[in-house]
Amino acid sequence: MVEAFAVASGKGGTGKTTSTLALGMALADEYDVTVIDADTGMANLLFHAGLDDADVTLHDLLVESSGVDVDEAVYDRFGMSVVPCGTSLDGFAAADPGRLRDVVADLAADTDVLLLDSPAALGSKSAVLPVVLADRIVVVLQPTVPSLSDGLKVQEYARSYGTSTAGVLFNRVRPDEDVDAVADRAARYFGGTTLGSVPESDAVRAARRAGEPLLAHAPEDPAADAFHEAAATLDVRSGDAAGVADRFRSAVVPDRP
Amino acid sequence: MVVDGHIPEGRLCRSRTDADVGETLAGVLDRGLTGYVVFEPQGSILRGGDERAVLTFEEGVPVLAYHAPTDAGGTDALGALSGGLFHAESYELPADALADAHRVDAFEIPPTAPADRLADDDTLVKRTREAAPDDRVDDGADAGAVAEFLSDPDRIEAIRQEARAEAEERAAEWGLTDQLDDG
Repeated sequence: MVEAFAVASGKGGTGKTTSTLALGMALADEYDVTVIDADTGMANLLFHAGLDDADVTLHDLLVESSGVDVDEAVYDRFGMSVVPCGTSLDGFAAADPGRLRDVVADLAADTDVLLLDSPAALGSKSAVLPVVLADRIVVVLQPTVPSLSDGLKVQEYARSYGTSTAGVLFNRVRPDEDVDAVADRAARYFGGTTLGSVPESDAVRAARRAGEPLLAHAPEDPAADAFHEAAATLDVRSGDAAGVADRFRSAVVPDRP
Repeated sequence: MVVDGHIPEGRLCRSRTDADVGETLAGVLDRGLTGYVVFEPQGSILRGGDERAVLTFEEGVPVLAYHAPTDAGGTDALGALSGGLFHAESYELPADALADAHRVDAFEIPPTAPADRLADDDTLVKRTREAAPDDRVDDGADAGAVAEFLSDPDRIEAIRQEARAEAEERAAEWGLTDQLDDG
């Protein structure tokens, strides 16, 4: 059973990486969860998961000649399997984005839920691949015009590739923002369900500094509660792991006749 | 000469070979620099490549971002400045010399975006927001603007159509056309 979600926003600063790890940890209560930092050009998941000194990362797996086994880049952290990405520009330059499909295919075979932390941009092949490869996207939004606009854009990119929207998550919501009214109106344009509304919280930055996901660092924080509720609202669909793996393997670069 | 030639050469006022982006931003804000900073990843010169990214500033507040190797502008360009140390050169320019470049909306970034995304420094974000002109800190959080936006189906349909066309055009560029959904 597997479903792959790309956690996307189209705009930076919405708290996508925090959301990816929080949803992952919450879903790990019920599912076997693997989180992949697919933001290969601006990786930061490693800092959130205490993996700053990880020797092997996704970058190594994206280099054809590295000879690194996928398992070597998988770290058991906070009840999840975490695949961090490196931060060096050299690593990014050497990486072949097309190989992401193979890596995802391998990882899909052994997990229930795959979460791809996706780049906050759509300007390159490597940035767009996570939404191409995923079954569905989770759109992380703030209740602002630029964020909603960019969220619509990433949803449309995803739909172009047949990837539908599982739900939208409002994050970093300030107390003066009436997110319910915004969510009701936004639901006309976004697919899936409104997964929830996560309040802006100082605990998020404190968690980042501590190198821990929010749900590990401040499990009682209102933002952590909201992420738990959002994860419970997400309907994870059963899929056939082998089928998903095959689909990934055939994706992106079709076999030569 | 950078950003499509719209920025004339400024006066070099500072050069560091092991610059941290957050410290550089804080220094620029403290000095109220009007001009630009060229960031080049360490080792880039030895590799013979042009890996430069440029941020422009008005009175210490970030205005534009541009990454030469990927021709990315705006927040897309900030990814190039994530992590690592850089060779950073700060140049001063009169504000009117930047006027042409600062009309290129596609390269504009929210004033606090570099501090928030690259330095992850609350204090620097707050200081930058305070230093930014009022018309640049309107982040669209105004409830009226959001309600108006979501009540305008034509505007939303236009965003969708533009995104759809762009996605299809770029799919061809990246060899992903076969992955597009026919439905």
